[in-house]
Order: sequence, then structure tokens, then C-alpha cells
Amino acid sequence: MTNKMIRAENISKYYNLGRLGSGRLREDFKNWWDRSVKNSRQEKEPRNHIWALKDVSFEVSEGEVLGFIGNNGAGKSTLLRIISRITAPSSGVIMGNGRVASLLEVGTGFHGELTGRENIYLNGHILGMKKKEIADRFDAIIDFSGVEKFIDTPVKRYSSGMYMRLAFAVAAHMDPEILIVDEVLAVGDAEFQRKCIGKMKEVSTQKGKTVLFVSHNMQALQSLCHRVIALHKGEIIDSGEPETVIGRYLKRERKINSFQEYEAIPYAPGNDSIRIKKVALLPEYVNDQEVIDIRTPVNIHFEFWYLGAAYDNLIAGVHLFNMKGECIFDVCSEGAMYTNGLIEGKCTIPGNFLNDGSYYISLVFVKDTTNPLYHFEACLAFDVEDYRKDTAWYGKWQGAVRPAFPVTLTTKE
Amino acid sequence: MQTQWKWKIEAKTRWFQWNLKELWQYKDLLNRFVRRDLIANYQQTVLGPFWIFLQPALTTLVYWLIFGKVARISTDGIPPVLFYLPGIIIWSYFSDCLNGTMYTFLQNSALFSKVYFPRLIIPLSAIVSHTIRMLVQLLLFTGIYLFYLIFTEAVKPNLYILLLPFLILLTAAFSLGTGLIISVMTARYRDLDYALQFVLRLFMFASPVVYPTSIVPEKYRFVFWLNPLTPIIESFRTAFFTTGPLHYKYLLLTLFSVTVILFTGLTLFKKKELNVMDII
Repeated sequence: MTNKMIRAENISKYYNLGRLGSGRLREDFKNWWDRSVKNSRQEKEPRNHIWALKDVSFEVSEGEVLGFIGNNGAGKSTLLRIISRITAPSSGVIMGNGRVASLLEVGTGFHGELTGRENIYLNGHILGMKKKEIADRFDAIIDFSGVEKFIDTPVKRYSSGMYMRLAFAVAAHMDPEILIVDEVLAVGDAEFQRKCIGKMKEVSTQKGKTVLFVSHNMQALQSLCHRVIALHKGEIIDSGEPETVIGRYLKRERKINSFQEYEAIPYAPGNDSIRIKKVALLPEYVNDQEVIDIRTPVNIHFEFWYLGAAYDNLIAGVHLFNMKGECIFDVCSEGAMYTNGLIEGKCTIPGNFLNDGSYYISLVFVKDTTNPLYHFEACLAFDVEDYRKDTAWYGKWQGAVRPAFPVTLTTKE
Repeated sequence: MQTQWKWKIEAKTRWFQWNLKELWQYKDLLNRFVRRDLIANYQQTVLGPFWIFLQPALTTLVYWLIFGKVARISTDGIPPVLFYLPGIIIWSYFSDCLNGTMYTFLQNSALFSKVYFPRLIIPLSAIVSHTIRMLVQLLLFTGIYLFYLIFTEAVKPNLYILLLPFLILLTAAFSLGTGLIISVMTARYRDLDYALQFVLRLFMFASPVVYPTSIVPEKYRFVFWLNPLTPIIESFRTAFFTTGPLHYKYLLLTLFSVTVILFTGLTLFKKKELNVMDII
């Protein structure tokens, strides 16, 4: 049987939301007074707190690559902080067998005034390596980073790319028993990312090391992990085969944001002119997993009651935003006269048009081309997953859109 | 089923769990931090490490002018330069160590929130690098002392000089213990910082840095000796200048209080090191 590398038993973690100011001393004193002097035990649970993790238990075996998924605030980071021994759980026990090194943020403890060489040693020791271990790998680290020319230059003179490469090279060569990789795919250029993934594969398959992997890149998770745990609001809600867990996770996420319907005018969002009856996102799935990827055409259906003055020139527009709040496109209907009543709208975002990422849609209703009637903001949201035939590279594809018109090359001479 | 785990974290850290063995495994890291401090501190300065000498030399000059020439405070018949130097060296060693350790959590929160290593390494490395600086300053003192010893008859050494390493150790332990206690407190109550700098300045004048203990009125002298730094500085002077008897009782008192403070500091630090990260 394989060795267990980490065992977490009923880990919970809460954070106090108390004031972080002048009231703290008094609050602390009061808490202490209540607890020790008045000896009131009934208030064991603190009042102002949020649970970041609730009763999380899991085990990781040697050589296993375990993935964690969950939306923001699901508790992934808190869990990794506890596993990395940065913070203690509020209750529960966690035990580990061997050095945990995280790529939570590479370059930890780098000092600008020191040279690359000095920093390799400093950083290596911070990450728990012995002097000899670093000396043995020194050449490999420099090779991997590609900064050998500048190794005796203070790192504050490095470009940010060189800095990152050197930092990652140290982290990648420390050879821990348990490696934590968190969102590391988001940094660096394509060549560098290929190296990262390669290193991670090597660590897990060839050296049989345990890897904990957190990413929003479902494709990378699916191809690298042996098992995936899904977290939601601090609790484990799903775990098992990557494909199944990821599929269920995406479906769950989608359900929440892809449909709204209102029975009657008084309850519907809107105003005296416009009331929304229904908005729905209807993707035409091209894969059997029912996941929107970059190839999937997405239909948008909406119905609304028009209650404004009859015979006004009415326009309905669909705005698509990315998660940074940048408007990707703004399309609208032809202006026309409508009488009061229920009106249906349709719009299709073609496949092979949007890049992978998260998007949300707002509906806009305008009278006489310039008078806004109603904004139904952020009423629909969806994620577009990446899809590539060639999976050698997992880096983020550039650009707001990702159309599929061809670039042709012809040999001229 | 295996039962051996190499590490284990529970919600409550037990008292007196110091993990000295683990600390020893990280001695390379300690060395590196010391190197970093020493190298980074004097990068891009014109005089470089020469500042280590210059600081006490200039301070001595200023003190001699203000306290010796203007205020005419007694130096117990010892040449002023020699009289001020031990006090200045011990005092600045103490206050540097304290300043280097009492913000452990505040200054290293970025590092502490990313990677695990025994947190105690940081304050210990501060102590070591300040000790190195202090030893260099002692060389300056020794040089001047030898000059006076050979060319004048103003100073007389005695065997108590052998106590010097012990005095240094006491100072280090005192500042480490105090620094550890304060580091846990400054993490939680930031404004403590302002109060502390003020208290530290007062504390210097409560220690026999610019004056000998002999000018303190007899009635208050006992309170004065309770300050752990007083026996340390006075014993230093006694050893090198033979100014009076060695107050070994007070030195033992210092040993006792410093041990208590260091013990309290270590225990508190180890107990709180993980919890502190949630409130910074």
C-alpha cells in the first residue's frame, strides 16, 4: 500500500471580522475577562467571523497529483495556507510526511540588493534546502532560468521576466516531497510555461512526488491530476475522477447564471417602461460534456413586457463584458415601433468567436436611439473554456476575441 | 497503517513546544539571513562597513562634548573616550538587537505568509548580525584601550575581563527575550510602536551609558540596579578600569531576570507564531 503524505482531519478555519483598530485592545480585554474571570463557557464560538473552511478532511498518497477546484472564496487558498504551515486551523488536525514547498508565489524572500547567486542560496534555504543540495543543483538552476550572464548582478537590475525565471528555477529544483502549485500557469511567457508544466509532470510521474494543484485551467487540471476535489464555501462538495468532478462543477456553476424567469409584472425587474420576463442562455453544445468552449455558439433569449408610451422608437441591445468589466461588444436591434405587450428578443454569439474566459451580459433598452429606458445589468454570466487540438501548450491565448479566420502562408521563392 | 508523521499542526499550539531540533536543521538559513543583512546594509554606501566604526566613534565624540564638557558629568576618573565607549557599545547593541527583533512579524509578513520555516530564525539572525557588528566595535574599543594601557597609567585591567563573553551573552539574551515578547504585541497592537521608541529613549538614560552609577543618589540606587543593563555595563567598566568592586549580587539578579524574560519570550513567540499571521 502506498504511503500517505498528508492527512487532514476535520479542518475548520474561521477569520474574525472584528474591528482592526483602536477597539481591539478593549475587545481583547473583554474577551479575556469573559473567558477567564467570569468563566462563561457558553460563548465558545466567536461572534463576528466567517468560516473559510468547514470540516475538511482528505488524504493524499505518495505520488498522487491532487487538484482543487472552486470559485473565488471557496477556501482553496486558505486550505493551501494551512497545508503549507503558514497558518493554523481553528480546529482539526493536519499531519504531513515530508517537506511541503509551494509555488504559491515564487521569488519568496528575494532581496533586490543581492546578486542572483546570493539569492539562489537565500531563496533555496528559505524553501528548506540544505547547502549541499543547492550546490549540487546550482548549475541546473542557472540553466533552467537562462540568466547565467547576470548571475553576479543584483537582482534589482533584472527585468521582471528574468527575475521570475530565476525565482521559478529555484522553486522548481528544490525537490520537495509535497509540491503545491497554485495558479502558476498565469505567469511568464509561453516557453516558460511549457517548462513549468514539464517540470510538474516530471516531478509527479518520474520522481513519484506528490503534487497539489490549484488552477482555473480545466484542461490542465484534467490532463495532469489523478483526483480532483471541489470546494464550495469552505466545504468539500465533490471529489473523485477529474473528468466527472470537473464536469459536475462546470454544470453547477452554469446553472446559477444562465437562466432567470419572472411570472408576473409586479415581481419582474424593470421599471414603468420595461419589465423583464425571462433571460436565458442556450448554448449549442458541440461536445458531449455540455461545456461551453471556444467552439460553442451561444444563443441568448429574452422576453420583456413593454409598458411605455406606444409608438416610440424602441431598441434592445446586448452588451457583453469580460471579467475586467471591459465591453467586448455592443449589438442592438433595429429601431422599430412597438405597442405595449410581451416582446421576445434573440441573439446568437457565434462559435469560434470569443476567447476563453469569463463573461457577463447586460441588456439595454433605449427609446429614440438616445434615451435609455432600462439597464438589466449582469443578468447572465458564463465561462468559455479553452479548446485546443494541440495540447502541448497550456498558456493563456492572447486577445479579447479568438476568431477562426485563416492566416495563410505561401512559399514565394 | 503508518502512524509516523513528520509534522503535525493542531488548532492549539501547546506551551513549551520549542522544536530546537528543527531550528538546528535550518542553521544554513540563519547564516544566509546574517549574510543578507551584512551585505545589503552597506550596498551603495560610500564608506561601506566602515560605518560600523564610525557610528560609535561619532556618538562618543558627541557624548563627550555634551555630557562631559558641557554638563560636566563625572566619568569616575576614567579618560572620557574609554568611559563612554563600553556604555555606547553595549547600549547600541541592546537597542539594535531589540529594534531588529521586535518587528519580526510586521516586517516579514510578506515572507511569513508564503513559506514555512521556523519563525525564530528571523530574530535569531538579527541578533547574530548585530553581534558581529558589536564585536567589530569592541575591536575599536580594544585598540583605544591598549593605547591608553601602554602609553598612560590611566587604566588598570583585572581578571574580570574574562567575564566579557558572559556580559555579551546576557545583553543578547535580554534583548532577544524582550524583542520576542514585543514582536508578538506589535503585530496585534500597531500603535505600541510609537510608545516603544519613546520608552527606549528614556531607557537609555535610565542605564549608566553617559554617567557612572556612582552619581546616582544612594536611596534610589537599588531601583537603578534592577535594570538588567546596569550590572552589565558597570561590570564591563569594572573589568577594564578597576573602578570598584564587582557587584556580583546584582549580576546574578540580572542573570535571573534575563533568564525569566528570555524564557517568557521564547514560549510566547512559539505559541503565537502561527496565530499572528491571521491578524497582520
